[in-house]
Amino acid sequence: MSGGLRYGPNCPYDVIVCGAGHAGCEAALAAARMGADTLMLTGNLDTIAQMSCNPAIGGQAKGHMVREIDAMGGEMAMNTDTTAIQFRLLNASKGPAVQAPRAQCDKKAYQFRMKHVVELQRHLDLFQAMVTGLIFKGDRVVGVRTSLDVDFYANSVVVTTGTFLRGLMHVGQNKNEGGRMGDFTAKGLSGSFLEAGIELERLKTGTPARILGSSIDFTHLEEQKGDESPTLFAFHDTRDPEDLFHVEHPGQEKLGWAPGTEQVSCFLTYTGAATEVVVRENLHRSAMYSGEIEGTGPRYCPSIEDKYVRFKDKNRHMLFLEPEGRNTNEWYINGLSTSLPFDVQLAMLQSVDGLEQVHMLRPAYAVEYDFAPPTQLQPSLESKKVENLFFAGQINGTSGYEEAAGQGLVAGVNAVQKLRGGSPLVFERHESYIGVLIDDLVTKGTEEPYRMFSSRAEHRLLFNHASAELRIYDKIKDLGLLPEARALRIEGKIREVHGWVEKLENTRIGGRLLADILRHTRSQADFPEALQAMPSPVREEVFYRVVYRGYLEREAKQIEKLRHIDRIRIPEGFNFRGVAGLRNESAEKLATIAPTTLGQASRISGVNPADISILMVYLEALRREK
Amino acid sequence: MSEPDTIVALSTPVGESAVALIRLSGPGCVDLGRLTTGRTAALRPRFAHYASYLDTDGEALDDCIFTYFPAEKSYTGDAMLEIAPHGNPLIVQKILEDLLSRGCRTAEPGEFTRTAFLNGKLDLSQAEAVADLIHARSARGLEVARRQLHGSVGRKISSLTERLLSIQARLEAYIDFPEEDLPAEDEEGPAADLLALSGEVRELIETRRYSALLHEGVRALIVGMPNAGKSSLINALTGMDRSIVSAQPGTTRDYVSDRVEIGGWCLEILDTAGLRDRGDAIEQMGMARTLELADSADLFLLVLDLAVPSPTLPADLLGQMRPNNTLVLENKMDLPEASSGSPILPECSRVQTCLLDGRGLAEVRAGILSLMESGLSLPGKDGIVVNARHADALSQVLRALETARGLLKEAEFAELVATELREAVHALGAVVGKIDNERMLDSLFQQFCIGK
Repeated sequence: MSGGLRYGPNCPYDVIVCGAGHAGCEAALAAARMGADTLMLTGNLDTIAQMSCNPAIGGQAKGHMVREIDAMGGEMAMNTDTTAIQFRLLNASKGPAVQAPRAQCDKKAYQFRMKHVVELQRHLDLFQAMVTGLIFKGDRVVGVRTSLDVDFYANSVVVTTGTFLRGLMHVGQNKNEGGRMGDFTAKGLSGSFLEAGIELERLKTGTPARILGSSIDFTHLEEQKGDESPTLFAFHDTRDPEDLFHVEHPGQEKLGWAPGTEQVSCFLTYTGAATEVVVRENLHRSAMYSGEIEGTGPRYCPSIEDKYVRFKDKNRHMLFLEPEGRNTNEWYINGLSTSLPFDVQLAMLQSVDGLEQVHMLRPAYAVEYDFAPPTQLQPSLESKKVENLFFAGQINGTSGYEEAAGQGLVAGVNAVQKLRGGSPLVFERHESYIGVLIDDLVTKGTEEPYRMFSSRAEHRLLFNHASAELRIYDKIKDLGLLPEARALRIEGKIREVHGWVEKLENTRIGGRLLADILRHTRSQADFPEALQAMPSPVREEVFYRVVYRGYLEREAKQIEKLRHIDRIRIPEGFNFRGVAGLRNESAEKLATIAPTTLGQASRISGVNPADISILMVYLEALRREK
Repeated sequence: MSEPDTIVALSTPVGESAVALIRLSGPGCVDLGRLTTGRTAALRPRFAHYASYLDTDGEALDDCIFTYFPAEKSYTGDAMLEIAPHGNPLIVQKILEDLLSRGCRTAEPGEFTRTAFLNGKLDLSQAEAVADLIHARSARGLEVARRQLHGSVGRKISSLTERLLSIQARLEAYIDFPEEDLPAEDEEGPAADLLALSGEVRELIETRRYSALLHEGVRALIVGMPNAGKSSLINALTGMDRSIVSAQPGTTRDYVSDRVEIGGWCLEILDTAGLRDRGDAIEQMGMARTLELADSADLFLLVLDLAVPSPTLPADLLGQMRPNNTLVLENKMDLPEASSGSPILPECSRVQTCLLDGRGLAEVRAGILSLMESGLSLPGKDGIVVNARHADALSQVLRALETARGLLKEAEFAELVATELREAVHALGAVVGKIDNERMLDSLFQQFCIGK
């Protein structure tokens, strides 16, 4: 907390964050941790960091991003570690680059701990009020209006409103306004955006039904246990042990139990022949198929009706039953999103193995919402139209807690950098998944709720989750996001890893290079004793870098090849339409996206190498004129 | 787009000429000058060297003039090498292919001039001219590429692209969606598909040797006794009164040539002097020339006069005519004195014609096409032929596919195999244009029911 809540034009904050979801929390915490006076506004204090959909964090590429967030001093990783009830490392049989941690969280514990963290954060004020509009001064944003008719002012505003802008929920033909069942919808804000010339479009997403655990017959279901030795998200080797605390332990007391202990199980079941009949007979009553929904839904998360329609030969679909917490009997049914009406949903559930006697607690629903196409943003996530206004999370067309949190953190940092005159934090595509995410959003935009896949990253071999701190540290070390002690530990780790790689590549045993022996045996048993005694994060990273050196060097070479065009900057306000020789179609696209580097320009779809050649010549001419 | 590359391009127009000029620019020029001339020392700067161009196998491709320009004294401001071979499209293509196989990259439209500008070799006032040049060249290049990719070559390559993306998607699905209910992971399937794909890519690369034939044309030699109707044949095929047709035997003294298109193939037709033992000195020379031309001919069109007794053809000429390269035309079928057929070369396919009014001409064209496709083993009716630039990109595709297959065999991690496939997709993009990752994802979501 800071010195108390401030309002009105005379006492502006440095940063206001609208929304307290996964993006909002990271944005507010990052800004406050950098020392900026920050206010976080939320329509409902009891739903801070709520997991609106499934109770899980991580997974392929997403788990990587959570570790990147932790490397930047974000909260999501630690919050997951301390509230998770099941940990699994995905792709354990594949190589280190694509192994991904995933955790099932106690939904309420996750929210409460995050709420507690933001409550205790220095420089951060928290207040419950719904933002109804923005206050502009010229083409700058200077504050926000709220439903309480109290205005708050700030130098920068970060918008993280998720699916709440003109949210409309569908259960069959039944429609309710709201961004999440049981919650409100934010109406006025869309008007503010339109007034400022920010375009809005519609997207659609959905969430399955929740059921009562005691009504599930587990007898024939396949149990899925957590890993015996859990892979945690936070870098506990560089964090202060005092970081571990929990809501049951006010202040900075220790957690009292080790993360990853006392895990609970999930269960697997399948839809049956009867499910298919129910779905097919009622297709016309689905909001998706009856044309009620105009927004585009995600390809990777189709509704059950979509699955039956698109994959006619697949007669059963796998479902995961996941507990939502230790202190609740509510269960989540992963794989059964639908916009079918209530009665059909009930019949459908009862046709599933183990759910014959099911008691539904909340129905599945689809939600449509406004998003602001992210090509309207600069790579810093600041609006191109309105100065000092930043966007992060689902409003940018993404899906997923991790994608939201990653953007939130970057937007929070850049909101502070903006007012301090520092250069914005912009990751290149070869530095982090968060860099790939934001570059994709601002350069290409998205047609469906954007989810991160490892295949989106050209250089994913460099993105093994355990290397996040090593990859990112140089880029963020001067921002003040990390406590000094942790920064020192990360520097130490970097030195150890580099030192050992160097040593293995230069030490010979019986005439053979130690590194070559390792590349042949691929066994850490061949490490020198002193290295075997090092902590496992150092050992694992050294092992990866030595054994996969050929591949990693190839990536490095490709990055170097593309680098020079990424380094050619395009000045702000550059007039693409005035470049002779550029095709009209390219000039229009370039003028809309307004790329900041020639590299970004080259990634815009429809811009061809000749256009880039011509731009290169013009930029050089411009440089020489100066 | 990357500056450290050494770029190469033919600077003179494609086609036959006395001399052609191949230009290279970039750091590799010093070594390439040394290696392609078989020297141990670097070429002396700005000095014309007459030497044989040696390919990677050490075979001499042509005698050329080599000139090396160090960076500070070159047009582009990077080290440059100019190679001037004879202006024969086949030789030029072989040299270009050899340079690409040595790691050079085909220059983008206007890239030499762009590099010169970026290196400060051209002044500011020329910037706009440089941009215009790039635009003009790329517009023309795009048109050429569009034409090349239109039709069968384009369909073939886009089908390869789809299949490659589908294999990539199958691997990526197991990497990105480990928790989905996917069919059991199967390394055999992708490996078999990769093998099939490699085979087709390899075949496609091999068709590049036909692009020389396309440029030069398939050489068809018309032979026969004087007044059998040889000149009428070339006129009928080209639709022009090109050879002088007369009833006087021996009108065509040396030879006449023209190009026609048959079934999409360029055919260079040579009309030769008639074969006979007597006659004046000029005709004797013409016949000697005919025998010489026969050595370089791909096809023979033997024209026989059904109205006269079968002639005795020179043995060294007959020896070169085989069923897979010869079409016999039994002409003047309309004359009352015409016999029913000739006993010469009975195993070769034959057509009866009346070339003066065009009867049998369609059969002649069909016969020529069938000889080209079966006899010369040119690619089939789809006529798929890639050029050197496509072949260069496809060779990179092939290398990546083969590496991927090797890794699959060694049971290496899927993400390493996927890296190779990504490289293959990237290389294919040089032929068909940038292939966005979204297309792979489309393929993935079409093949697999994802949605935990």
